[in-house]
Amino acid sequence: MKKKVLVIDDDYDILEPLSILLEIDNYEVETTPKGEETIHKVNDFKPDVILLDMLLSGSDGRQIARALKSNVKTKDIAIIMMSAHPSASEDAKLCGADDFIAKPFESEDLLTLVKSYISQ
Amino acid sequence: MRSIYRYLNPIVHLGESNYSFVFPLIANIVLCVSSEFYAYIIARNPLIIGEYIIFINVAFIIYFSFRDGLRGGYISTLFAICYYFYIIATRHYHGFELSMAVDTTIILGVLYAILASIIGWLKQRIDWLIESSAIEKERLQTIIDQLPVGVIVTDGHGILTQTNKQLNKILGIRMPIGFAIGLDTIPQIKINGSLPIPHQSPLSQALKKGTSIIGREIYYQQVNGNEGKYLQVNSAPIHNKKRRVIAAASIITDITGQKDLERQKDDFLSMASHELKTPLTSLKMFLDLQEKELSSSKSKKAQYFNQRIKDQIHRLSELTNDLLDISRIQTGKLRFKKESFQLSQIVSDTLEGLSGMTRQHELVLRNNFSGQVFADRYRIYQVLVNLISNAIKYSPKGRKIIITLSSQNRHALISVKDYGIGIEKEQQKKIFERLYQVTDRNEKTFPGLGLGLFIAKEIVERHSGKIWVTSEKGKGSTFSFSLPIPHKKG
Repeated sequence: MKKKVLVIDDDYDILEPLSILLEIDNYEVETTPKGEETIHKVNDFKPDVILLDMLLSGSDGRQIARALKSNVKTKDIAIIMMSAHPSASEDAKLCGADDFIAKPFESEDLLTLVKSYISQ
Repeated sequence: MRSIYRYLNPIVHLGESNYSFVFPLIANIVLCVSSEFYAYIIARNPLIIGEYIIFINVAFIIYFSFRDGLRGGYISTLFAICYYFYIIATRHYHGFELSMAVDTTIILGVLYAILASIIGWLKQRIDWLIESSAIEKERLQTIIDQLPVGVIVTDGHGILTQTNKQLNKILGIRMPIGFAIGLDTIPQIKINGSLPIPHQSPLSQALKKGTSIIGREIYYQQVNGNEGKYLQVNSAPIHNKKRRVIAAASIITDITGQKDLERQKDDFLSMASHELKTPLTSLKMFLDLQEKELSSSKSKKAQYFNQRIKDQIHRLSELTNDLLDISRIQTGKLRFKKESFQLSQIVSDTLEGLSGMTRQHELVLRNNFSGQVFADRYRIYQVLVNLISNAIKYSPKGRKIIITLSSQNRHALISVKDYGIGIEKEQQKKIFERLYQVTDRNEKTFPGLGLGLFIAKEIVERHSGKIWVTSEKGKGSTFSFSLPIPHKKG
């Protein structure tokens, strides 16, 4: 069975190539540009890994991460936060994310990181 | 009433240079006529006049010297001498009596004149001192009124002695001179959100402890005002020669605008960083996708073009990073994540990564140091990349680039030597400055923003290291930097 990755980023130009890259690497990918849809998507799609942008228009990625990590049903799903903000990596740790990758990243690095959470 | 008092008390006239001519003249005439009147009409003995007149004249000379300076004293003296000669003429002295009277008059006249000179000089001197201190005060007030900062000066007991216009403007209230009042005793203001606590203001502390307080930032609000202000307060005690605190001064700067600008700059930095990096991220991924597509095609040209686009995007991200680093350095937000690691490892990793950058140059590593350093791994990598890519960039005809690792005086030394265009002595001082770029003999310029070495210097210095260059024009350059080696535990 294919492993599932949920990608949340308000920028469609990120969502599109990211989902194609992941699909090529044999993942089942679901995307949403809306932070408020996250909980709903997580419950329906049951992803193994969530790629979450930190600064979403409308809602805050950090709050979403906190909400997911404090819920018994969703706390075991790995969250990898992405951000272009210089000091975001500490913030990501603080809100309970499992890992962080700074934009712009190398596609290879991202895929390796996702893979490391799948095999666990 | 005051004007009469001024006539009676000559000291009142100190500091007011109003040297009158008429008053001493009239006063002396009145004195002499009244003495004559007394001697002739009341005492009926003209000889009595002599003793009286000497005593009264001395008093008048002192009085007028003090009142009107030298002029008043001399007029009184002159009048006294004339009067003695009038007495000599009207009393019909003869022979020995006459010469005694004349001698006495002359001697007395000279003594009077000396007395008048001394007292008059003293009076003028005091006048001058008082006036110059008044002028000095006025000049100081004019200067501090022009200052763009608020000024508070108190005496040793905290009594307000001087303020300036800008202070009232900044605070929005008037500070009354002559009262023990400071930022910590005004009831209608708030400091950092709460009512002021007495004796806690920088000024009070400067007075109490006798030391300067620099750069204290406070948030100032009027209790019934709405918007607050950010103020920076510097206070310093003023000592006398015996090192006792006799006064204190505070300079208050309104830094609200500056704070707003800083915040805007931070906001802009975050936004720019986000806005520049997002399209780069997208571009990179699309290129990787395209590369995957192209790898199955036979078009070598398309693959080559793809690689070139990748290189350019890499360059663009480096430039974006440099620009963001510069902003971070300027806002003091460049932070480091320091850890212990083996320096030689990161150097060889860097060389491996950079070897693809040039076909012409040979990167040679001479490793004489195998210890650890405590530093930000990524930032040290950034410095190395900068120095080596500079070496490649500025040695278009050179072949070897030698990277040496060694240690000296508890510091790890890393140097990058090239055989390129070199740097003139004049330019060597400037290359670590922001936006400075080396030009070669034909004033040919090289690509780049001129930010790399500035950032490298900042990184190395923030690690308590040093960075420097030795170079000879036309022969090449050696850039070196040092990093302290941490003390071994136990």
